[in-house]
Amino acid sequence: MAVSPSIPRSPSTTSSSTVPQKLKEIATQNISTGKGVSHPQIPLQNPDYELAQQLNDDVRHKYIKDRKLGEGTYAVVYLGHLRADSASYVAIKKIKVNAEFKDGLSMDAIREVKYLQELSHPNIIALHDVFTSKDLNLNLVLEYLPGGDLEMLIKDGSIHYGAADVKAWMGMLARSVWYCHENCVLHRDIKPNNLLIASDGEVKLADFGLARSFADPYLNMSHQVITRWYRPPELLYGARQYSGAVDIWSMGMVFAELLLRVPFVAGNTDLDQISKINDAFGTPTEENWPGVTKLPNYVSAEKDRIVPLQGRDFFLRQFPTAGSVGAELLMSMCALDPRKRSTASQILQHNWWFIEPKPTKKEDLPRKPGGVKKMGDDLARRGGELQEGPFHNTVRQLDFTAMK
Amino acid sequence: MIEDEIYRKSSQYRLWSFTSESLQSLRVTTNALASDRVRAAQRRAREAQQAANSSTSTPNPSDTDSKAAEEKTVDCLTPEEEQDLVRYYCEQTVELGERYRPPLPTIVRSTAIQYLRRFYLTNSPMAYAPKTIMACALFVATKTENYYLSLRQFAEGLPDITGDEVIAPEFLLMQGLRFTFDVRHPFRGLEGGIMELQAISQGMGQPAPHIPNQTSEDLRQGLLALPPPPSSSSSNLSIHDRLGRAHTKTRETLKTSAQMTDAYFLYTPSQIWLAAFLLADKPLAEFYLETKLGRTEEGHPLHELRMKILHTVSECSALLSSYKPSASDPEQMKKLKRIAKKRHHCENPEKAGLAGKKRVPAAAAAVGTPGISGTGEGTSESDVERLAKRRKVEEGGSGSEMLVDRSREDKPQDQTDQQQQVPAEQAEGAAG
Repeated sequence: MAVSPSIPRSPSTTSSSTVPQKLKEIATQNISTGKGVSHPQIPLQNPDYELAQQLNDDVRHKYIKDRKLGEGTYAVVYLGHLRADSASYVAIKKIKVNAEFKDGLSMDAIREVKYLQELSHPNIIALHDVFTSKDLNLNLVLEYLPGGDLEMLIKDGSIHYGAADVKAWMGMLARSVWYCHENCVLHRDIKPNNLLIASDGEVKLADFGLARSFADPYLNMSHQVITRWYRPPELLYGARQYSGAVDIWSMGMVFAELLLRVPFVAGNTDLDQISKINDAFGTPTEENWPGVTKLPNYVSAEKDRIVPLQGRDFFLRQFPTAGSVGAELLMSMCALDPRKRSTASQILQHNWWFIEPKPTKKEDLPRKPGGVKKMGDDLARRGGELQEGPFHNTVRQLDFTAMK
Repeated sequence: MIEDEIYRKSSQYRLWSFTSESLQSLRVTTNALASDRVRAAQRRAREAQQAANSSTSTPNPSDTDSKAAEEKTVDCLTPEEEQDLVRYYCEQTVELGERYRPPLPTIVRSTAIQYLRRFYLTNSPMAYAPKTIMACALFVATKTENYYLSLRQFAEGLPDITGDEVIAPEFLLMQGLRFTFDVRHPFRGLEGGIMELQAISQGMGQPAPHIPNQTSEDLRQGLLALPPPPSSSSSNLSIHDRLGRAHTKTRETLKTSAQMTDAYFLYTPSQIWLAAFLLADKPLAEFYLETKLGRTEEGHPLHELRMKILHTVSECSALLSSYKPSASDPEQMKKLKRIAKKRHHCENPEKAGLAGKKRVPAAAAAVGTPGISGTGEGTSESDVERLAKRRKVEEGGSGSEMLVDRSREDKPQDQTDQQQQVPAEQAEGAAG
């Protein structure tokens, strides 16, 4: 794979080397003598050929679409490659024009483009280019990640992995989340099938369709974000002002799932999710979480179901493979009160990373064939959707009636 | 990771930061290209007209003369006129935002203004009427700044423009924006600076790490000992009131001058807010810089840095204070009317119908352009097939359809959420 993470062809490298150069080139050409006509790349005979459109066509011309990898309600994903180098693969995500959505480009697409243009990090999927195609659909040229995703590895019983592997994956996830938060971006949909794997084993956070910038103090945000099993209690209780702590909870749930190889708290409905969290971690009260009872959708637990806040022993018992230091780290991500949850930066400084076992080198991490198809499915999915399949459909239908 | 590193990775720095020379030269080029196109298009229109005429009447011998004369009369906008016109529509964007109840937040309007300014770096107002692009930029800004209104709601707030007209240039606009939607504003930096100064005034200031022997009390005393701002009429203002005044005044500059000048293209957000702060209360702004960089002697690296920053910030201040609202200047308004008339005359006739024909012209142009069919697009299914498929899915109503519906259901919820959020946003608008 030529488009390898070691030479990230991120927006910062591609765009900055092509676009401003081109603008500069055009800007510095001699207008009075050349009159622009001398510039071979701008056919002035065609009055519809604006500079911007010419740039767009140049970008589009850089890539060739090969075959369809996946299709969702929101996008079609193709395998593609650089015209100049057929071994340089990319994933081209074509956003569908939604006939029912008359308001132009959807929020999901806008969010995804907006944030991926700003974030360039080894553990975040790179957006190489954006262009419009003939039918004026938006095409995102994304990093090619043929290793599938973490969900695929977690679910496949024939894949064996250990604490050192989990440490390597979690390290990469923690760095991506730290980078997002450092840039004042909330991802709001962290889960195993949004953690894609590059050919060299590097984990990449993808799907920024629900991302947003930190709000200014006192401004409200939507609480209808993050796929339910990974959604923190404050969002389930309808909090409208929240922080990066929401992503940290999701990260804790991914950590737990990597260790257990099943989702740790998998509620059938939002209410069920709340009670499962209560049962697992303890019942939120004004004592352990000041202010929780004031949250809009707070529901008090039934008297006979009040569980005391779980401590270290619980986490060590539940997650023996993490070791006592690892269990402590997990516990710090799963604090019910978001103010008591560790920040991404605190997590990266935790002692767990420095003790044995050392994280596995990314090249030596377990892998599984069939990742290309999985990438196609993952990238085509709309943010916040649960995995597809008959079982999950049932879950959503139950949810549908329950919430009416 | 320091903030500079983060900023250097931003699209605002990578794609939308210029030197004043490169900015000027880009505008000149865009104008020249557009002028050539306008002249070419008008020539074609004339030729077509003549062809039609010549079939009915005998050719007039003086035709060639009149043709030459006409050629001269195609009077295109100059780069300066284009800039004046764009600035006027930036001012109109603020007004437009004011029409809504509640008014659109400052951040939405400011983002829309920057979209408009960025768009017209590579597109000419002769080709695309700023009035149409302005409405679209404002709508796109509501989406990118999380202040979601439906297109219908949005269009209801606007005089004489339909929703279809608002959305028609969306792709064109996004293309002109190089698909970068993030705008880094100076507002949040100002809020942070004011909070820091308030903390200092209450004796809770944090000394900078490289100035270890400074105490919170030193900082507070330093702040209280500042000479009054030169322009102030009442010299015995309490520090609380002084900060409040400087805050309001700076914010006003950021909402107006910083938006209507080239500040965003030439300076970073922190340079911009410090420049505006310098205009509002010079001693206070200089004091703030000293809390970060110390009051070191010449020859000290921090002294050099402070002088360099002050120099840049002062340049930016000069740019900001050069701005005068068009509405306050009858001469300027007269000039703008003339430019608008001129623009109308030289409007590219082949582009004029853009708003009416939703998304068609560009698509048609792309289809008709050789060299594009080679992108591998040919293998993808046609629009017709895709629509047919969609219909099938809709009629089917299978189990997976349920999933789709459910996922859509989140959307209206999200929208009402956004609207419930209005009062808070309104408070923001009122405060600023």
